[in-house]
Amino acid sequence: MLWVDKYRPKTLDKMIVHQEIAMNLKKLVSEHDCPHLLFYGPPGAGKKTLIMALLKQMFGPGAEKVKIENKIWKVDVSFCSHVSSFYWLIFQIGLAGTRTLDLELTTLSSTHHVELNPSDAGFQDRYIVQEIIKEMAKSRPIDTKGKKGFKVLVLNEVDKLSREAQHSLRRTMEKYSASCRLILCCNSSSKVTEAVRSRCLNVRVNAPTEEQIIRVLEFIGKKEGLSLPTGLGSRIAAQSNRSLRRAILSFETCRVQQYPFTENQAVPPMDWEQYVSEIAIDIVQEQSPKRLFLVRGKLYELLVNCIPPEIVLKKLLSELLKKLDSELKHEVCHWAAYYEHRMRMGQKAIFHIEAFVAKFMSIYKQFLIETFG
Amino acid sequence: MGKRPVVVISSSDDEDGGCSVSAGCNSSRSKSERSVGRKKCRRLKKASVLNRQLCKQGHKEEEANFDALLKDFYEDFHGHSMAPGERGRRQKLGSPWADSRELWVDKYRPRSLEELAVHKKKIEEVKMWLEEWVRTSKEQFCGHVLVITGQAGVGKSATINVIASQLGAEVCEWKTPTPTLWQEYIHNANSGTHYISKLEEFETFVERVRKYSLLRSISKDGSKQSVILLIDDLPLTNGRVAHGRLTKCLHFLAQSTQIPTVILVTEYGKADCGDNTNYSEELVLSLERAGASKVAFNPLTFNSVKKTLSRICREEQCNVPSEWIDHIAKASGGDIRHAITCLQYFCLRPDLMLPLNLSALSITQSRGKSEDLSEDLNEMSKLIVNKDENLDYEFPLPFGRDETLTLFHALGKFLHNKRETVDCSALGRDLFTLKDRYKRFPLKMDSPERVVLQMHGQARPIADFLHENVLDFLSDEAIEDAWIVASYLSDADRLLSTSLHGQAWSPIVAGKHDPENVTQLVSASVAVRGVLFGNSHPSPSRWHAIRSPKLWQVEKLRRHNKKLMLLEKFEAYSIFSSYGMSVMATEYKPTLKRLGFRSLEDLQVCRKMTECSKMEVGVYDLLDQDELEGGASVESEEDEIEDW
Repeated sequence: MLWVDKYRPKTLDKMIVHQEIAMNLKKLVSEHDCPHLLFYGPPGAGKKTLIMALLKQMFGPGAEKVKIENKIWKVDVSFCSHVSSFYWLIFQIGLAGTRTLDLELTTLSSTHHVELNPSDAGFQDRYIVQEIIKEMAKSRPIDTKGKKGFKVLVLNEVDKLSREAQHSLRRTMEKYSASCRLILCCNSSSKVTEAVRSRCLNVRVNAPTEEQIIRVLEFIGKKEGLSLPTGLGSRIAAQSNRSLRRAILSFETCRVQQYPFTENQAVPPMDWEQYVSEIAIDIVQEQSPKRLFLVRGKLYELLVNCIPPEIVLKKLLSELLKKLDSELKHEVCHWAAYYEHRMRMGQKAIFHIEAFVAKFMSIYKQFLIETFG
Repeated sequence: MGKRPVVVISSSDDEDGGCSVSAGCNSSRSKSERSVGRKKCRRLKKASVLNRQLCKQGHKEEEANFDALLKDFYEDFHGHSMAPGERGRRQKLGSPWADSRELWVDKYRPRSLEELAVHKKKIEEVKMWLEEWVRTSKEQFCGHVLVITGQAGVGKSATINVIASQLGAEVCEWKTPTPTLWQEYIHNANSGTHYISKLEEFETFVERVRKYSLLRSISKDGSKQSVILLIDDLPLTNGRVAHGRLTKCLHFLAQSTQIPTVILVTEYGKADCGDNTNYSEELVLSLERAGASKVAFNPLTFNSVKKTLSRICREEQCNVPSEWIDHIAKASGGDIRHAITCLQYFCLRPDLMLPLNLSALSITQSRGKSEDLSEDLNEMSKLIVNKDENLDYEFPLPFGRDETLTLFHALGKFLHNKRETVDCSALGRDLFTLKDRYKRFPLKMDSPERVVLQMHGQARPIADFLHENVLDFLSDEAIEDAWIVASYLSDADRLLSTSLHGQAWSPIVAGKHDPENVTQLVSASVAVRGVLFGNSHPSPSRWHAIRSPKLWQVEKLRRHNKKLMLLEKFEAYSIFSSYGMSVMATEYKPTLKRLGFRSLEDLQVCRKMTECSKMEVGVYDLLDQDELEGGASVESEEDEIEDW
């Protein structure tokens, strides 16, 4: 088991980082009831840990007994499309009806809660949201006192849900609020519609500070019986970009690479990050369509390994910025933002990343010509 | 008056000529007709036109009706009618009088090698081959099948017929039997007729030809007329099995036939039907392997089509302006049969060819001076030609084949980006002037949208293909161009994603102005024009292979990896938490890879889990079985029901 999971605090009391939030949550659920919740914050801040601990607080150890299912949902979709002309309308009536979609989705569930990543279902996410909530509402658990309880639905990556899905989420939230509670989890609340946000209690989970990260690392070091030099600890924390998960993972990597630790031991970056910085070097070296083609091949490599394109673009930008004069930074950032936006609107990420790379090359070449003639 | 009978005879002679060339089974019928005609003529030697017309009218009643109809047609517009008076004039000029009834395609069927519009060298090849086999006529030759390939209407059968008639050989043609409808068969099923598929019929025919060389004995006794077997209409095969049968059957034919055999294989446009082309290519290949020689006919050249058309015009006394002939020839796409039919259609009602406003205009002009139809035509066509140039084929020709382009042909057009080299002065004439960096020379092709339509492309694959290949076609220095192209492609992608998720392309709503359809058109246009515009410094043209988009492969792999990762996710789940895909990909997997040994172990565990889970109904149970049962969850039962 990885240290990240091994040393994850299991109860609200044991939280090291977000103690205040934990205490507030504990008070909140002391009546065995809670409003809908929306946790948001940067990756590696501890949202998931808080949610898990909260569930345990609410339902006791029963919440820990989970099973994983890869379930196929059969969803009847009423089948309607834009009909422009009258003739088509007539034609349509004969054909209108429902077709059944098979959606495959992995869920993690205990008797008290169901957790899932609806955005894994791609653009059919809205059917998932509706269908699952409906199904959950059907099977309401009854607690020992004969009182009707409620189930909790944990939805991850709500910000990646499509707009339609969020709307349907809102409706189902109202309709089934008696029988289920929703815990939503996302990175940025700005991508969650206002309507959903206002129906939830928003909990912002900040990224832990470097000191907090160092404290956690030292805690783990003590448990594992390792001596962690302060210099290494602070460097891991600095490199982790304030993501606790990241810090713990690289701590473990360091442990595997070299032990006993030394003060100035290298903290290895992730392999894909290495790869991105190689791409950045390629881009700065030469600016030509041929080089662009080469870069495209490398970007494909990243995408094949399921690295999200947004992250690739972000990392690429930060690598490129390191190599730039400050006067260019503004323009480059502008274009990165521009193409990131289009990438989210569009479908094929490579088109947009490549457009950004081409733009950067063009700017950089212009700059080189102006400076060095 | 005295002249008339002569004319009559000559015309009937003409008719005979036409028929006798169209060979084989037709010839006997036409011969009898001729003899009847001769007899009549001899009998009515002194008779007047009136008599003759009478007999003809008795012969075919509808003649008069037809004339009346024609008259109506023509009076409507110019008062310029094909009245009998005019007919008389035409007759005097010596053109066959039954002209308006016969299709020009049949009437002007080539009679000599000179009249064939096919390329001289190809004719020569075919002629050589036929001469060799027809002359030798021995038993021991082995490769006596000639395969002629080419698209429809390039004169494959015409060539054979002409050459055969020159050599004095008789052409025997395999005529496909009339098709039986299935309903018809069902209807007649009681009467005891068996259903024989066309392929079977063809097979038996070929078998007979191979074994007994039937046709040789059929040929006229006494005269040593040689026979050429012509197989024009190959039975349609559907599916691999049927195709295999046909290929085998033809293969045997090629190996063991005893008379010179010519097989015509019509090639269809590649874009039209994907599968059939493969089949016909295979067929030709297998025939070649069996020792057949092959001649491929290309689409006719523009000039040869034009030549033929103008010859027909001359003989028809139609004053068709040369611009129109150009148009027709261009629109025909190398299909002479089509071009001639177009010409006839056009000559029937030249004035109707024009769009309403133009024809209205010219009609007002031409009222009163009904005589000079041709002049009008000239004017109009000039107008049209001008219009054409301005609006870039805005105005659709009422005739013409819809050319289809293959995807690769069109892509080549876009990517090579051929442009005129002279700066068109037309640009300066515009009301505003463009900045230099926006100026481009005019394209050497139809408007890109038109090309896209011709290749029946959907926007998404077009964009993918362009994206994959365009960088090869940019010159090495032009990174700015690369950006422009990339940004337009990005635009196209953006436009496409607004459509119903790109792939919901349901045929039910494929109306013309369906938003989906419009999106497709627009984004294809953006992608294509973006590539054309952006590539302002095309690299010197050399041969590039067009690759299929690697993107597709990448996406497939990515999905595959994602699935694998989902499996691995179970392992991550085992520790009471779940991670999003991105966390898995960016943090967990690399770490696990670093930790090496451990991930291997984990993977094995994971695999074991999946295996056993396959046996148990797909539920990954990570806790004690008893405990779960104690929990009495409603869901697990439901799951089982669903999974079973």
